[in-house]
Amino acid sequence: MSRTASLYTICPDAAVAQRTVDALLTAGARSEDITVISAEPFDRYEFGQHEESPLMPWLVVLGAILGGVVGFLLVSLTTKSYPIVTGGMPITPGWITGIITYELTMLAAILTTLLVLLLTAPLFRWRQGPYDVQVADGKILVGINPQRNLPDKVREVLKACQDRAERGPV
Amino acid sequence: MAHRWGMAVDLDRCTGCEACVIACRAENNIPTVGEEQAQKGRAIHWMRVERYYEGEFPDVRVKFQPVLCQQCDNAPCEPVCPTYASYHTNEGLNGQVYNRCIGTRYCANACPYTVRFFNFFNPAWDKPLHLQLNPDVSVRQVGIMEKCTFCVQRIKSAEIRAKEEKRELKDGEPAPACVQTCPPRALVFGDLNDPESEVSRLARSHRGVKLLGELGTQPKVTYLQRNEWNDNNT
Amino acid sequence: MTTTPDQINHDLINHDLLRPVARASARFFLVVAMLGLVVLAGLSAWGYQLYSGIGVAGIRRPVFWGFYITNFVFWIGISHAGTLISAILRLANAGWRRPVTRCAEVITVFALCIGAMFPVIHLGRPWVAFWLVPYPNERGLWPNYRSPLVWDFFAINTYLIGSATFLILPIIPDFALCRDKFSGWRKTFYGVLALGWRGTQRQWHRLETAMHIMAIVIIPVAVSVHTIVSWDFAMTPVPIWHSTIFAPYFVAGAIFSGIAALIVAMVFLRHFLHLEEYLPTVCFENLGKLLLLMSLLWVYFVFAERLTIWYGNQPAEVAVLWLTQNGPYRYLFWTMVACNFLIPFPLLAIKKLRTITGIFVASITVVVGMWLERYLIIVPSLSRKFLPYAWGTYRPTWVEITITAATFAAMALLYVVFAKLVPIISIWELKVGMREESESSSSVGAVSRVRPTRSGRGEHETLAGVGFKNSQGVKL
Repeated sequence: MSRTASLYTICPDAAVAQRTVDALLTAGARSEDITVISAEPFDRYEFGQHEESPLMPWLVVLGAILGGVVGFLLVSLTTKSYPIVTGGMPITPGWITGIITYELTMLAAILTTLLVLLLTAPLFRWRQGPYDVQVADGKILVGINPQRNLPDKVREVLKACQDRAERGPV
Repeated sequence: MAHRWGMAVDLDRCTGCEACVIACRAENNIPTVGEEQAQKGRAIHWMRVERYYEGEFPDVRVKFQPVLCQQCDNAPCEPVCPTYASYHTNEGLNGQVYNRCIGTRYCANACPYTVRFFNFFNPAWDKPLHLQLNPDVSVRQVGIMEKCTFCVQRIKSAEIRAKEEKRELKDGEPAPACVQTCPPRALVFGDLNDPESEVSRLARSHRGVKLLGELGTQPKVTYLQRNEWNDNNT
Repeated sequence: MTTTPDQINHDLINHDLLRPVARASARFFLVVAMLGLVVLAGLSAWGYQLYSGIGVAGIRRPVFWGFYITNFVFWIGISHAGTLISAILRLANAGWRRPVTRCAEVITVFALCIGAMFPVIHLGRPWVAFWLVPYPNERGLWPNYRSPLVWDFFAINTYLIGSATFLILPIIPDFALCRDKFSGWRKTFYGVLALGWRGTQRQWHRLETAMHIMAIVIIPVAVSVHTIVSWDFAMTPVPIWHSTIFAPYFVAGAIFSGIAALIVAMVFLRHFLHLEEYLPTVCFENLGKLLLLMSLLWVYFVFAERLTIWYGNQPAEVAVLWLTQNGPYRYLFWTMVACNFLIPFPLLAIKKLRTITGIFVASITVVVGMWLERYLIIVPSLSRKFLPYAWGTYRPTWVEITITAATFAAMALLYVVFAKLVPIISIWELKVGMREESESSSSVGAVSRVRPTRSGRGEHETLAGVGFKNSQGVKL
């Protein structure tokens, strides 16, 4: 399976992975080039925190507002364009416009969440970046995006971590 | 001014002969569902004559009450239909559009008078009875709700005729089949917007009540109560 | 053996929870065949109804809604299990919900699928059911937004899409695990389903944020769904139906029946998939306590509604009340009370009886009782409306009974097949929970834990300060 060639080491647990990431950063690697791959989220470790972005909930709110506007327009415009009298009720009752608007707001929030997840996670980019099946056993993969101008010190640090991983835990 | 069709039922005059029921069936192509289906409660009779017995033998009194679609102004059957099959026409009728009906039967549940009927199967008329079908009224297929329409086909044809002859409709000119047939003339039909029409006069009568009026459906059928003097007879 | 310093045995967990997915025994195929036969019978009954006309069902004038709408409300009610357990407990950070979430969310999605079929099955002309969809057409008509059935259409679709999303998103990392652990056709199959999941920290963050947002959004949607279903009844002037209590009454009843269905499903899973260690007794006890709470809430609503009707003494409503309590429906009514309250209450309230067997028996009776409750809401009110000349009765036919039985079989079938294709316990969430438990320094027995606050860079140093040792006994 061809994959974007990358350098990585397998760490046995989160603490070791954190130390590896710290060492790489000290050696001069940039934070955006470091990829940490694990089988569970590690929110309480620093390496799991710098990918956070507060934008996602706001995008969902924006999507929900759009959905609400669509719902409101759907009810008010369509009932006014073909006005049919039923039961003495007004043509566009306020309560009922509210119900449909509410449902479409929620639907839009759900679909926006899904869309934002698919696009920004991102999913469907299987071949981009490193992966190792050992991750499924609970190990953590710490990788570096290989670039031509990677400082040598970074490569040395990575090599040292790989050797240590192969030798076994200290 | 637009018409607003209404009806008055004089309970004093009703003899319970049920000629209105038969006339309605004949006019509106109402199917006969058969004995088995009728036992299940699926018989269709847009106009029915309810019979209530009071007292013990030999002092029994029978009261007859013809019940048909009340064409309510605040019809509970109208807002609940998801496809606008049940809607309010601008002449005040509760219209039933057979083509729009998908058969949820919500309107039938919402109707407090239970005057709506459902076609549980495709209706069939054995030959040669199919020749008696009224060509002015469509035949409903399975899954469609139907109910009394105040013989809207007669109303429409009377209006068209009046328009062609460039005159107004006379009082009592569009007559639904039941009104036309009733022997003691217990049923009166006409334009409620015309204060001089007979139905408007009867609607203003002191004997007039609305069936289940407390529900707020604002029905357009006025029932004229039986007079006091009737009850003193044995 | 692969252990990490926090003592999570990845191999063991992966093995235990992937074992049902890894192979299909003869018993599985037998169960699928038997359930499939019942489902097939139901589909044939529906086909017969489509061909002959809706009249082959037992509905009649004046009881125009019968078994089909009972099933509709029942299954939509069952679908509230997933929301309560997953979303509310997720937001409350209750740790014991972790092994239970996927079992619950699956019930929601499949119950919704089944329930949403009934508005089509009960139509007189189902081939034009698509007229409920708002789309520009040549009829010059849009759906009547004033009708609660149209609100149903929007609400159920929103809830279905929402709960499907809520279910599928956390499965993606487990599909990735399956992709890595299996070989052959399974590797390809799960590889496709994993949608290219690798497990980068950004993917994890987005996924967890998405789950959090979904948990917040799905709760009001679920409440609105069963509220709108209850308004199918409450918006009509039918005696007893026209009541403001219907909205919260139905939502409470839905959650009640949903928890019961969840417990039934979990007991079967625990037994047949040998998941005793992952679905410990404490999960069932907590769910049992919730079921007890909902049972009491149900009794409260029923009592409040009936007292108000009896006291108000409106003739039409009181007539229906007596019909259910003393009239022809009394056997069903008192069975329902027994099933929903009299039997579950001692089983769930008395600690000695609150074993897994006791909770299971209580749940089965609740499922039966809640089905009866839906029936008793719909049929007696319709059979005795305002004009006595139009009163009637209702009797189901074999078509309705077959279709009802087929829905239960369909639910079981879908569930069994799902548990075979997807790990029924969320593996990564379980591991996260176990890690969080072992990382806190409290006792072993505590199950629900508040997530510690993130303190930034120095967190791992704090852990070392607690004195963690790795498997070789060396302090970090």
